[in-house]
Amino acid sequence: MKIRLLPLTLLAALVLGASAMVALPGASYAHQDREQPLAGATLRHPAGTDALGRDRLVRVSASLLLSLAGALAASAFTTGTAAAVGALAAFAPRGVAWLVMLVCDAFLALPWLFLLMMVRSALPLQASPAHSAAITFLVLAALGWPACARAVYRGGLGMKRAEWVLQARASGLRGSQMIRQVLPNLLPLLLPQFLVCVPAFVIAEANLGALGLGIGEPLPSWGGMLLELDNSALLFRTQWVYFPVALLILVLLLLEAIPVEA
Amino acid sequence: MKQLHHLIGSLARALLLVLLVMIGSTLLVRLAPGYLSDAREMDAHYGNTVRAELSQEGARSHSVPEMLVREAGGWLRGDAGVSRQFGVPVRKLIGPRLAVTGGLLLRSLLLGWALALCAALMTSLRRQSGIVWQAPATLLLAVPTAAMATLCLLAGGGGPVLVMSLLVAARDFKFLCRILRQAWLEPHLLQARAQGIRMGRLLAAHVAPAIAGQLGALAGLSLVTALSALVPVEVLFDVPGLGQLAWNAAMNRDLPVLLAITLLMALAVTSSSMLSGQPGEWESA
Repeated sequence: MKIRLLPLTLLAALVLGASAMVALPGASYAHQDREQPLAGATLRHPAGTDALGRDRLVRVSASLLLSLAGALAASAFTTGTAAAVGALAAFAPRGVAWLVMLVCDAFLALPWLFLLMMVRSALPLQASPAHSAAITFLVLAALGWPACARAVYRGGLGMKRAEWVLQARASGLRGSQMIRQVLPNLLPLLLPQFLVCVPAFVIAEANLGALGLGIGEPLPSWGGMLLELDNSALLFRTQWVYFPVALLILVLLLLEAIPVEA
Repeated sequence: MKQLHHLIGSLARALLLVLLVMIGSTLLVRLAPGYLSDAREMDAHYGNTVRAELSQEGARSHSVPEMLVREAGGWLRGDAGVSRQFGVPVRKLIGPRLAVTGGLLLRSLLLGWALALCAALMTSLRRQSGIVWQAPATLLLAVPTAAMATLCLLAGGGGPVLVMSLLVAARDFKFLCRILRQAWLEPHLLQARAQGIRMGRLLAAHVAPAIAGQLGALAGLSLVTALSALVPVEVLFDVPGLGQLAWNAAMNRDLPVLLAITLLMALAVTSSSMLSGQPGEWESA
């Protein structure tokens, strides 16, 4: 096995393990074992339970799956939007390109997490857990594209001056036909953007959750589990409260170690 | 003359960006589904009063252009509007916190840059030591700011400055490393090193001037990184700065306060990128 595929393999193993844990009969992230709140590791609860007696391993597994699925979907949406906007700006008349890039700069003029927090707080905070998860990742997807679109725009500008594009334009290819030819050639640029967005979105979701603006309870999320660390009384009872943070850092390290070359 | 035109163009673009941010933020907050709602509505003691206040607010903010004019008027008067939550001019809320946040940002950026520069210099000069610095930098980048702040709080060591400077250092280290490595590979520097000229002299006379432009651009990015970390750090460490105020305003839909902080951040980012983008041109102008 090639060493560069190791992070991806480990990540796939983690996802498989988490899926198996969530799919186990009787495993539920919301089930409360009221007899055993804040329990240590036992056979029944291998990573202990939280303050409400919910199995920590099942919750961590579910949050891993939810966070990865949400981040992947948001990243795909962001990359698609960035490809469309960037290609449009690169091949459109100068005025349109200037306007599109101005809008991108307006988004980029605000720090990413601040912008996220502002938009997320403008949306309903008392939404159902499933809605809050959808809203969180939709907000991430909707705000993540400008930086990526700028990169695509620069790549597109370079391609616009390429000889084969000049030849195609001289041969009378229409705009829509040109875009169809150009987009596949932007893939080497889009794949790294997609892979860079995934860990960024996972981190953003965790940060939003820690500020109380993320996914609502009882759905498990990294941010929600970080909030557990705020309760110092829990920390003296069990060391397993650190388990979600440790796993989150491992997942992020693996995501960042995935080779980004196309 | 060309430089002046460029400067005027950059200024006009920065102003346009700030204006766009203002319009966008106002629209966003006004059209938010929860704009005319307040958590205090649930409380039997405050419910009726809050509902009356919200209905007045609804009547006042019925037209978005009027809202924009009112917000802009607040800025022109110099008080930046009146806080919906506290009922005082926003300037009074922001003033004392600006100093706190400014101090925090300045100390964090200085410490972060000092750490990143030292590590990048050592790595660029001695390749064997690369892993010693790269491993912690990679690890730090994989830790969400909120988690880092919480762990620092639990460990009882380190404060907001340490968290923000570590974040800035980890992010800038990789860029600085790349810039310095490229700089050291210049043929005239290889020749000078082979002739045994002292590193300090080479750094001061050749490397620093050559990479000044890139360092300036990186400084602009560092500010954005630090500002991004501001909200979780100030909220978790209970620092009475702008980040905490922004979080509080966002949770309570306090539009004037949120708008004022948003504009300040947009101003800081656009002016820093404008200044850091063309230091060479400005020097020679």
